[in-house]
Amino acid sequence: MDQLLQYALWFFLGSILVSMVRVLVGPTTADRMIGLNMVSAQILAILVLLAVREERSSFLDVALVYDIFGFIGILAMVRYFGRKRG
Amino acid sequence: MASSTHWNVVRFFVTTLYLWMGWILFTWSLSLGNLLLGLVQSGLVALFTWPVFVEENEAARRSHVPRVHFLIVYLLFLIVQMYGASFRVLWQILRGRINPGVVHFRTRLRTDIARTALANSITLTPGTITLFLDDDHLIVHWLDSRTTHSRYARKLIAESFERVLKRIWA
Amino acid sequence: MNWGTVIFIGLGVIFGIMGNLGVLIFPDVYTRLHASSTASTSSVFSIFVACMFAAGWSPMTGKILVIAFFFFITNPISSHLIARYAWEKDVVPWRRSYAERQRLSHTSDE
Repeated sequence: MDQLLQYALWFFLGSILVSMVRVLVGPTTADRMIGLNMVSAQILAILVLLAVREERSSFLDVALVYDIFGFIGILAMVRYFGRKRG
Repeated sequence: MASSTHWNVVRFFVTTLYLWMGWILFTWSLSLGNLLLGLVQSGLVALFTWPVFVEENEAARRSHVPRVHFLIVYLLFLIVQMYGASFRVLWQILRGRINPGVVHFRTRLRTDIARTALANSITLTPGTITLFLDDDHLIVHWLDSRTTHSRYARKLIAESFERVLKRIWA
Repeated sequence: MNWGTVIFIGLGVIFGIMGNLGVLIFPDVYTRLHASSTASTSSVFSIFVACMFAAGWSPMTGKILVIAFFFFITNPISSHLIARYAWEKDVVPWRRSYAERQRLSHTSDE
């Protein structure tokens, strides 16, 4: 069981690297935001997997706050880039 | 005038209740001191935020108490829909034959929170994304657009959600 | 061995791979958003369910349930924000050409 969770952790680390490709090459701002959104969701999965593997529930508090902060980060970026010029 | 004051008090207490529920879910402990601290703090925050949190109009007035058993049924239904739609999108990615399109339609739900929940559910299921929501008018981007006719599109995308949502926030 | 954990981690891995592939190969912002919602929502939710199976009946399961509930609320909102940002910047949605659409609808009718 521990071994399986370990493999899932490695898989999500690789998956985050693949998602970062879209952040680096994305032609528009919205594409980069899609990549960031995916990265933050997958980091959430990694935090929950770590918490279950280490049997330590303080990681879950981190995950809960990380969830909300990822959302607020996207909100701030949209407000900043989307405001009208002039 | 009297009914408006009454409604303001209800708005304040509804805001406090929601904030307190959030506090309990976050801290996840049921000791007395913790609960009292949360109640005092959510009351303080609610003093400043109640005019923003619950809107003052007719549509909000009917919508602040959901029917909990239908809400649980709706969450289970949403999970089933999400997995079905995910497998459909997965098949389209594998085959590489996508046919995206934009459709407009009007929803028949009355309350604001039910409309928000509908837009949220449409975005949650992969394959459909809400681009814009204005009162009852939705613009939806659709990965496999089978039609551009608005009534038929509503039947395909939103009707199964609306049937349950109508029961939650009457 | 807990079979619920195995099945749901398998589902999460499949959705993760296909979602990442879709984000890399799809032609414009809106279609990429569909693929990313496969990767982020379905895959991560499957991992949550697998962790609930692995943790069994404990306070951890309740906390994971709360995280999953918040995730169900916040993740669609952030993808809607991105979509509406692109829509208000007048990004034109990509479409197949008319002849190709006719051919597709013709073959799908058979």
